[in-house]
Amino acid sequence: MKKTWILLLISVFLFSCQEEVFLDLDQKEGRIPVIEGYWTDQGISNEVKISLAKNYYDSLDQESVRDAEVFVKELKTGRKIAFRYLEATRSYRPNPSERAIVGESYQLNVNWKGQTYQSEGLMLAPPILDSVVWNYEKDRPFRGEGYFIKVYGKIPFLDNNQYRIRVIENDTLKNQREDYLLFDDTFGLQVFEKGLELGYAFQKNDRVRMELYRLNKDAFVYLSQLVNLLFSDGGLFSPPPQNPTSNIRVVSGKGEVLGYFVVSPVLTRTVVIAPK
Amino acid sequence: MKGQVLDASTSEPLVGANVFWEGQASSGTITDSDGRFSLPVLNIPTQLFVSYLGYERSTRLIQVRDLDKLQRFYLKPEDFSLEEVLIQERRGDEQVKNLELGKSSLSMENLKALPALFGEVDLLRSLQLLPGVKSAGEGTAGLFVRGGSADQNLVQVDGAPVYNASHFFGIFSVFNPDGIKKVDLYKGNMPASYGGRASALIDVSLREGETTRLSGEGGIGTISSRLTLQGPLLGEKSNFLISGRRTYADLFLKLSSNPDIKNNQLNFYDLNGKASFILSEKDKLSFSSYQGSDFLGLSGQFGLGWKNWVSAVNWNRVNSDSSFFDLQGYHSRYSYQVKFDNEDNGFDWNNSLSESGIKATWTRVIASKSTLFWGVHGQLYHFAPSDLKPSPNNPINRKQTPGVQGALGNAFVGLTREFTDKLSGELGLRQGVYAQLGEGKVYQYPGNAPTDSDPSDSLFYGPAEVMQRYQGLEPRIALRYMLRPDFSLKLSYNRNFQYVQIASNSSAGLPIDRWVLAGQYIRPIQSDQVSVGVFHNFDQNRWELSVEGYYKDLQNVIDLRNGARILLSDQVETELLSGRGWAYGAEFLLRKNKGKTTGWLGYTWSRAWRQIDGISRNEAYNPRFDRPHDVSLVLNHQFSTAWSAGLTFVYTSGQAVSFPVGSYVLDNQPVPLYSDYRNENRFPDYHRLDASVTWKNPDRGRKWKGSWNFGVYNLYGRKNPFSYDFRVLYNNQVNYSPEDGEIVSTRPGVVMTYLFTFLPSITYNVQF
Repeated sequence: MKKTWILLLISVFLFSCQEEVFLDLDQKEGRIPVIEGYWTDQGISNEVKISLAKNYYDSLDQESVRDAEVFVKELKTGRKIAFRYLEATRSYRPNPSERAIVGESYQLNVNWKGQTYQSEGLMLAPPILDSVVWNYEKDRPFRGEGYFIKVYGKIPFLDNNQYRIRVIENDTLKNQREDYLLFDDTFGLQVFEKGLELGYAFQKNDRVRMELYRLNKDAFVYLSQLVNLLFSDGGLFSPPPQNPTSNIRVVSGKGEVLGYFVVSPVLTRTVVIAPK
Repeated sequence: MKGQVLDASTSEPLVGANVFWEGQASSGTITDSDGRFSLPVLNIPTQLFVSYLGYERSTRLIQVRDLDKLQRFYLKPEDFSLEEVLIQERRGDEQVKNLELGKSSLSMENLKALPALFGEVDLLRSLQLLPGVKSAGEGTAGLFVRGGSADQNLVQVDGAPVYNASHFFGIFSVFNPDGIKKVDLYKGNMPASYGGRASALIDVSLREGETTRLSGEGGIGTISSRLTLQGPLLGEKSNFLISGRRTYADLFLKLSSNPDIKNNQLNFYDLNGKASFILSEKDKLSFSSYQGSDFLGLSGQFGLGWKNWVSAVNWNRVNSDSSFFDLQGYHSRYSYQVKFDNEDNGFDWNNSLSESGIKATWTRVIASKSTLFWGVHGQLYHFAPSDLKPSPNNPINRKQTPGVQGALGNAFVGLTREFTDKLSGELGLRQGVYAQLGEGKVYQYPGNAPTDSDPSDSLFYGPAEVMQRYQGLEPRIALRYMLRPDFSLKLSYNRNFQYVQIASNSSAGLPIDRWVLAGQYIRPIQSDQVSVGVFHNFDQNRWELSVEGYYKDLQNVIDLRNGARILLSDQVETELLSGRGWAYGAEFLLRKNKGKTTGWLGYTWSRAWRQIDGISRNEAYNPRFDRPHDVSLVLNHQFSTAWSAGLTFVYTSGQAVSFPVGSYVLDNQPVPLYSDYRNENRFPDYHRLDASVTWKNPDRGRKWKGSWNFGVYNLYGRKNPFSYDFRVLYNNQVNYSPEDGEIVSTRPGVVMTYLFTFLPSITYNVQF
């Protein structure tokens, strides 16, 4: 919302201009590993991506780390679930039959070039997802015109209420900074019972897949800080930019690590927008 | 040829004025008891001169057609001229001889002569041209004085504080220049009678109305219009002044081809008034009030508005030639509202805060060389709950933050004494006793560390119950030693405590910024400043030269942790980090107050630092407004009675900011990678030249006088960056997005936004 005001303010005077510039940017010494781990109750969602940070002006291609040892440990039993690197997905994946069990705590372990990285998470129970409906809506402020999807369900929990909905539209993850759908119980959770509207206008025949995650707080905070950072425009009204606080730590060896680890149930629904 | 000579300000006849034709002074005449004269016509057209002691001379070309009617000449008293006003307000050698260190005064005549953004004369932005005062960035009116944050400045109008002194998100300040008499900026030594903020006092005095006749002035500008009326109220012993300003920036929106912008509203207004009453030879009473409001409306459904309402009453009593008493009461309220009219998703979010105060000051002149003053100042803060109410069908819960109250009692005493012919001093003490008051709830945390853990318990306090108490003694010392009659050395030491501050980490203030009161987890800011300066006047006080140095230490300044959510939180303490700050610098000022060319050249070298655990790996960093080098040149030149011109040039080091040191891919998108150390990079240096020309309609004896002002902001079109955005560029275009069509290429890029290059403005002003 704040962004809208500022954009308006700048455009108000019609005197603001934009142009591309080239700045002489500092470079980080060494290449920092970036770990993105998902451990869920859906075999297809379980993967760990490891890549390396690079200089700002380098190409956008991701440089994957292929030679790390990756496993998730079930903390109660000490059982290790190994992940293997798959070139097709450029990520580490476990046996598809392995999945997280509600109530268990898990620890991600990554060993690479003498460094060990760890993170923990508790597998929380999933909320109840009842139905998904869509309706055509005429042009509305801040929403536009098109087909809008509402998700109905129930959240019966008193705590650990941090959620993310990932939306994949025609095989493309909606991951622009304004696309992130993160919510907690700050404003209550009735909105989920009365129909949570996804803020995207879909088109006829769009195939839309929704994934609802119930996150541990540290992963939710990480993603919230990531969205803040993506919205930072370097202007006076933005807080000073900071890297999101990772829930992964370096337990042996030197250096830093970026990224986050999610342990979460996943509820999915797929709909095709077919005009009624 | 018949005519009449009158006083321009009172319209009263001037008796004995000299009237003569050009080159024939010896054969002129003088006016009679009605100010009338009669003069034989010899050869026209020719110039007629009218002069009178203490008034400006008037010249007019007389033609044949002018002989048919009575010609009226309105002479302006000489003390209406710029130089004379300055002499009245300050003695020529004032800066050398007084005890003030780090104080700057500007009259509105000074400010109105400066070129201005959109032609809007702006009090706070003009103060940025003084040494030691920094701006947050292009076009903003926020002030950062000697390394202090913007919320460490006390901005007051006739003694009453203003909590948000800006319009349009800080582009303009709330002060309508026509309603203001002058502004004093205290950035170093502050008398013991003032306090409450750590860095500076910006003391704005509203104008009083004239007691002799009703008059007015106004102006039509590029984005706003102004109107001021003043005059006697109930006879000659009382007067009033009322002044209003309203923008019509909405018109600019209509020019946009984008319907999302075209249908929006954006405007503000100011209204201030003052009424003064001479109750007796010894007593004067005045009432001042300011009200101002902004409104931003989007698509007829979304609205954001904010409003200041400040009122003050002042009673000044002269008990005798050596004894004075001043009593002041005030109330200041700031509120904002955010509203979205929608059945399903709408909400109405309101918040307000207020401060009420009463202050009594006694002043006694003890012998001719000592003055003693003492007094008390009571302040009551009320920060109302922030209340977000959803529309009936909106399923989100209503959200309220708890309100909070505080009381601050101050006692102060000060002595100004001339110890010897050369040494003078002011010694002051101010004692503040502060209490955060119930009703309220305070969460308790394990280890008393709110940022590390969830609350373990909470304590409830009843109405008016003391929740937390602080007190602080604030010594103020200023000494002046005359090295020569035109050369002095000054020293000062100041301590200030501040019990309210804004919880924010952006550099520019927003209308919805959250003010927080000192409490169990938020300690008051303590500021200690030492200043030293040399002051020299030369060429019969035409020129003033000063060099000042300072060191300031700040304790208990706050910042926000990463991703802090402040606005609707009832546990603000969990989002705050606290630490210290320090600043030092040297300020050079060469100023010319007399003559046809006036102005100043200022240079400041300064540094500002913060060290807050949890930020920048707990190491010291520069806040964004740390701009080590700062040059400002201000010039005004009076070419003739009709033409004058103003010019300002500023050059400052770039803002301290953080640029990425790399990038990485997360969630299938590139994310900029930042260093753990804050603000290690700089924007390019900022510089800008503004110019204006004013043409005043020559005095032709009409009841009204007009003037045109033409200005250009950023004359040579310097592209000073407002921001750098680090993002993906699609198809090598700055404003291309995936929704716009086919994507041919993607790459990381840096997009600079800049504002206000070569911005002309025109204003018509009128006096009647």
